[in-house]
Amino acid sequence: MSKPILIVGGGPAGLAAAHSLATFGQSCIVVEKEDRLGGAPILEGYAKLVPSGEWAKDAIGGMVDRASGHELVDVRTSTSVTSFSGEAGDFTAGLSDGEPVNVSAAILCTGFTHFDSANKPEWGFGTYPDVVTTTQVEQMVSSGQGVRCPSDGRKPKRVAILLCVGSRDRQIGREWCSKICCTVSANMAMEIREELPDCHVYIYYMDIRTFGLYETKYYWKSQEEFKVKYIKARIAEVTSDGEKLIVKGEDTLVKRPITIPFDMVIHAIGMDPNVDNPDLSSIFGVDLEPHGYIDKASSYSASGLTNKSGVFVAGAATGPETIDDSIAQGKAAAMAVLEQRQLAARLVS
Amino acid sequence: MPIHEKSLIRPENLQVHENLEVEGVDVSGHWSTFIESRVVSDYNEAIEDEISALPGGENIHRCWQCGSCTNACTVHAINADFNPRYWIYLIRMGMESELLRDKDIIWQCVSCNKCTYACPRDVFPEGVMKATAHWLELKGHTPKSHSTIFDEIFSEQVIETGKIEDGRTIRRFFKQTGQALRQPWLEEMVKRMLRNLPIGMLTRMGMANFIQPKTSGWSGARDAIKEYVAEQEAHHRAALGLDDLVKMAETELKTGAAK
Ligand SMILES: Cc1cc2nc3c(=O)[nH]c(=O)nc-3n(C[C@H](O)[C@H](O)[C@H](O)COP(=O)(O)OP(=O)(O)OC[C@H]3O[C@@H](n4cnc5c(N)ncnc54)[C@H](O)[C@@H]3O)c2cc1C
Ligand code: SF4
Ligand code: SF4
Ligand code: SF4
Repeated sequence: MSKPILIVGGGPAGLAAAHSLATFGQSCIVVEKEDRLGGAPILEGYAKLVPSGEWAKDAIGGMVDRASGHELVDVRTSTSVTSFSGEAGDFTAGLSDGEPVNVSAAILCTGFTHFDSANKPEWGFGTYPDVVTTTQVEQMVSSGQGVRCPSDGRKPKRVAILLCVGSRDRQIGREWCSKICCTVSANMAMEIREELPDCHVYIYYMDIRTFGLYETKYYWKSQEEFKVKYIKARIAEVTSDGEKLIVKGEDTLVKRPITIPFDMVIHAIGMDPNVDNPDLSSIFGVDLEPHGYIDKASSYSASGLTNKSGVFVAGAATGPETIDDSIAQGKAAAMAVLEQRQLAARLVS
Repeated sequence: MPIHEKSLIRPENLQVHENLEVEGVDVSGHWSTFIESRVVSDYNEAIEDEISALPGGENIHRCWQCGSCTNACTVHAINADFNPRYWIYLIRMGMESELLRDKDIIWQCVSCNKCTYACPRDVFPEGVMKATAHWLELKGHTPKSHSTIFDEIFSEQVIETGKIEDGRTIRRFFKQTGQALRQPWLEEMVKRMLRNLPIGMLTRMGMANFIQPKTSGWSGARDAIKEYVAEQEAHHRAALGLDDLVKMAETELKTGAAK
């Protein structure tokens, strides 16, 4: 029996890779630093996912069950990799729980870190309790509590969603588009309008990037069926008059300053590179690309290659990705590992 | 003036003080001109709801401000201030004072529907123009336009008789809009009709002026249409809160009289 494959990170990408490998008879070890599998959708308590509309706990929960229930998948939660040496086909990985393991390859599925809105203090997060993030609203919805103003539990009458918080902003060194937040925000706006029909939802945008088929299902639908309003403006600051939040900016279409009262302001936070990436880079000897994500090699020969032979990468570890794409990349990386195993076997015989 | 050339500072927003003293210092005159704030300090969500309750306005919330309607617009080509895209935005964001600045040109839409065919989102801008003009009239911001008066005379006649008699319509229209009946173009038209139309038809047209023919068995249809129109009008008045306004005015009058 060949050596196991090391999968670092048990989010959608890692779970998909583990399940694919196990299905093809390849054993693997999933090392997850948190105490549970599932990645961001489970750890952060997302509600209904785009584009499936399924609850995260069901959709990703199902992936957790399928992977961890497989006899060839060895799950190590609350664990991380401390050292990694050797060469493709014969690596030794030191684990924080003590015993080193011998593996033939590694797939880094270490994902992203949520942008911390405290880094944009002008938008009021941390100062005013009713300024929240998309993850907080996801939790309000998934817990069944409903969308309420944290300050006093009231139902908001007017909500602003600010897009690109922590993305596309050179001021804070983040040039990338986080790809999914436009769609997630449009979906969230519809959820709010559905739960609270009297609540008006305004989305402040620079561009709307509900790419591909998301255009109909989220952007158009949110406007046409749910009357969500989109305003082209990047907000300057969020303050308070003691009663309401005051959103200030320029309405670029009428070329006029706006100071509009709101009950709740939601930051559509972006996907930062995983804060662990510098460590992962030095432990595994993989390069980071200029934004700080793990650098991918050319994908024309095989998927998920890094600069280091035998170390693969998949999902949001490589840059902002959707769940569906992270899963596809996890499976593609598993396929790349199997291809190499096949090649090696042929060379030996 | 095309929208992108619009000045941000309007003459009426300049405040010149003939007599102004600040902390004992006289600062009157032009050199201390102030500019009124242009800040939009709230959205009035009611206006979009009201206009979308009127026929033609139903799809206004779909607009994504691409400008295709304005680019296609017949009237815009002649008068750059005529800008359907811009008005749709003002309505959606509830910027009423801004909209009212253009109240005297919105009715100029000629219903050519070029915008309807250009709009990628089926907003039906022509309908929105109609609904907006209607809204302005119902709210008392503009007098009844000639086209509204014409529509009323025309439909009243059709509803009553099931037929349309042009001579009467035109006479009543001119009368109600204070126009002379003797218009050169009209006289020319009548002359040519007399010259070219068959005698039988002319006689029938002439007779129709006196005997007011009706479509036989029309009364059932008439009552049904009237009922429907009344229903629609009540619905529009309710959407715009007009009855409440009337009630408020009445109570004010009453309490005023009691005082
Ligand atoms: C608010 C919000 C809502 C979203 N909603 C959707 C949606 O509806 N649909 C959609 O397609 N996408 C959505 N996304 C994007 C989605 O979260 C990502 O596509 C997805 O989580 C990426 O999966 P992943 O497995 O690559 O990474 P992650 O989900 O980040 O999983 C990485 C895993 O690796 C673990 N890990 C990290 N570092 C280490 C380490 N050093 N050692 C061991 N383990 C480690 C982490 O604990 C985590 O479990 C949303 C994102 C945000 C911010
Ligand atoms: S997906 Fe939309 S909100 Fe997110 S960073 Fe890109 S443009 Fe901004
Ligand atoms: S229908 Fe009215 S708004 Fe539309 S293009 Fe013609 S004139 Fe312009
Ligand atoms: S063409 Fe349609 S979508 Fe575009 S600005 Fe005009 S009404 Fe709006």
